[in-house]
Amino acid sequence: MATTNDKEFKSRLETLSISQQRQVAALFVQRVFAFSNDVRIKAALDMAMRADISDAELAVVSQAANTARVESYAQCGRDSDWNTQAGLFVAKAAVSCVRPDVDGQNLAWDAAMQVRVARTCEAASGDVTDHKEAEAQYAILDDFLSK
Amino acid sequence: MSASLEKGVRVLKEVIDAPIASYFSSCVHCGLCAEACLFYTETGDPKYTPIHKLEPMRRLYEQEYTVLGRLKKLIGLSKAVTDAELAEWQELVYNSCTLCGRCSAVCPVGNDIVYMVRKFREGMSASGNAPEGIKGAANRTITIGSPMGVKLPAVKAQMRHVQEDYGLPIPMDVEGSEYLVMLSSMEIMNFPEYLGAIAKIMHQAGKTWTLCSTAFEATNAGMQIGNSDLARVIVSRIVEGAERLKVKTVISPECGHAYTALRWEGANLVGRPFSFHVKHIIEVLGEFQEQGLLKTDGFETDRLTFHDPCQLARRGGVIKQQRSLMNMVTKNFVEMPDAGFMNWCCGGGGGASAIEEGEELRMEAFKKKKSQFDAVKPDRVVTACANCRIVMEEGIEHYKMNLPVVGLTEMIADHIPNPVAAKPEGN
Amino acid sequence: MNEMQFLTWVRGTGLNLAISIFLLGVFVRLFEIYSLGRKKDLSEPRNVAGASGMNTVFRRSLPADGMLKNSPITYIGGYIFHIGLAIIVFLFVPHIKLFQGLTGLSWPGLPSQLVDFATILTIVAMLVILFDRITKPVKRYLSTFQDWFTWALTFLPVLTGWLAVRHLLLPYTTMLAVHILMVELLLVFLPFTKLFHAFTVFGSRWYNGAVNGHKGVAV
Repeated sequence: MATTNDKEFKSRLETLSISQQRQVAALFVQRVFAFSNDVRIKAALDMAMRADISDAELAVVSQAANTARVESYAQCGRDSDWNTQAGLFVAKAAVSCVRPDVDGQNLAWDAAMQVRVARTCEAASGDVTDHKEAEAQYAILDDFLSK
Repeated sequence: MSASLEKGVRVLKEVIDAPIASYFSSCVHCGLCAEACLFYTETGDPKYTPIHKLEPMRRLYEQEYTVLGRLKKLIGLSKAVTDAELAEWQELVYNSCTLCGRCSAVCPVGNDIVYMVRKFREGMSASGNAPEGIKGAANRTITIGSPMGVKLPAVKAQMRHVQEDYGLPIPMDVEGSEYLVMLSSMEIMNFPEYLGAIAKIMHQAGKTWTLCSTAFEATNAGMQIGNSDLARVIVSRIVEGAERLKVKTVISPECGHAYTALRWEGANLVGRPFSFHVKHIIEVLGEFQEQGLLKTDGFETDRLTFHDPCQLARRGGVIKQQRSLMNMVTKNFVEMPDAGFMNWCCGGGGGASAIEEGEELRMEAFKKKKSQFDAVKPDRVVTACANCRIVMEEGIEHYKMNLPVVGLTEMIADHIPNPVAAKPEGN
Repeated sequence: MNEMQFLTWVRGTGLNLAISIFLLGVFVRLFEIYSLGRKKDLSEPRNVAGASGMNTVFRRSLPADGMLKNSPITYIGGYIFHIGLAIIVFLFVPHIKLFQGLTGLSWPGLPSQLVDFATILTIVAMLVILFDRITKPVKRYLSTFQDWFTWALTFLPVLTGWLAVRHLLLPYTTMLAVHILMVELLLVFLPFTKLFHAFTVFGSRWYNGAVNGHKGVAV
């Protein structure tokens, strides 16, 4: 049964194991990775795609992704660019993917939301008028679940 | 004298009033202001002593407004203020001062040093000695409407995003609304969740509110740079919008200096009292809480502390509300030493974080904030200013700490159940 | 001139000159400062009990949170010598007699041993403060000729007065004359140096308290 709305989307994500959540979250983020192109983000996504990650490895990429996130904040008063700003949300989404302690958190949902904000940034830059990121994410999840 | 210096000196002469004259006449060089300033305490460099940041203005005061000073000038015994001197003072007046106001709180003879720095910046900016970073921000605010170049289509995009996520419409230009909500570029760009949080809260409280298409920006770079003319243009836009939409209250967002600019300087900049109230979002939330309009669910259980933004607490008088709000949704709220009125500045306000050359100094000054964190070892820090959030995250990152920073308004909204009337897509 | 002539001069002409310059100076300085006025604050006030100019005039005599531990010498030394000076000037019977002669007003004084004790404390405190100004980086950095000069202007009357009462150093008549001369120098320079804070501290604290009180912040 295809996912058609966020309520279903969120609860289906919740049923996934942590490892599965990381993998599907990485798939979401890959769609917007071009806004960031940061190697630390790439490393985080690559790590999240693997089924077997040790705590130590996770800690390393998590730290690096967080640094990338903090560095990508738009500074108060500086001139900014929405496409670049999208990079902040890509970083936030990637941080969700490799978050070490995840009790009770739906990290895939968090990542999906941040990816949508990244798309909104693209819309804000005037390059795109509207986006259907949610629908794209439903399709990715359905595809993942069917495997 | 170059044209700019002449203008700067003229402006400085104009801003000197009885309080400033009284303050300069009262200073006894006790040095206590330095002990209250994080730029001195964390560097040990006495040039950061707050009253010293005003030395050119003090000399000008003496030379222009005292009998003895004027006599000395006549017989050639006084040292004139020069362009080079003002250029040298740029670092002291901008990079190493966030207008936090701790100095004014401790001076034993009662000097309001932050008031003087604010006025000194008028002269600095008129003489062309304001930092490039803030000059750009000020210009962008005038020409584009936002210091960071945020335009209306971007705001509309965020509005659409919130509408989809929460199923709550974001009103714009609705006449007769009770509240006009202002945003800051920092929030629009870095913390878009803020708009959704406002929508949820207003919906639950049952209040009418609106954005304004011609005045969505609260950040006042004119105030930070110390240029009253620019500051006035920005405030006038907001006044025009508020009056056109006939709102009762304008809400200033989670940005410290925007509040100071609108709430306390605004009426004086436009030359007449406002016909509407101005409140910080935390004040409004505090009122809603008191009136029983906020019905929250659940509690944060991790160890939390609150960082009081300088312009909100010490300089704005909003100190109790954030604590009541914290207690409403948290179980383990601990106060840092010096929390509340005497809280230490994050080190990045007043335009400081827009100054690239000042970054190293800010990181050093951050040691003070770090020591406050170390004293209580919280799991997360909560605050109510978008710039404080980022400045603290950068400092935390620099010192390799693991300490997330969150916004209070969003935290409150997280504990408000999502609207039932939402379409399924909005979850 | 011999010591009697010296004493007569400082008690007569010298005192008249010093008091005239002092009063004129105080008046001119107060006028040139406060006539500048300030613009009315048009923003909506937030009235909170305890937050006002008057409140701050008194409250600012106490150290702000955390500051006493941070700078004990500045505060404690400051309290001792200010209170000491007040005791010496206003509660020492010979001084009260002087005020009575000048204004007709008089009030009870303290036993002279107590004033003597207060004087010694004041002298010690002032020496400690001087040492602190020399050794602390911020104070040293801020200090100009005026800081050292005004320290001497304030210290010498106390020292010479104490020496006179104790009949030390110089013959009494001369010592007394020197003491009065030191006081006259203090009076002459007070309005034109940082010592004028004796008058402006009230205005400064009041403005600070009023501006913050307008925002509902009690400083």
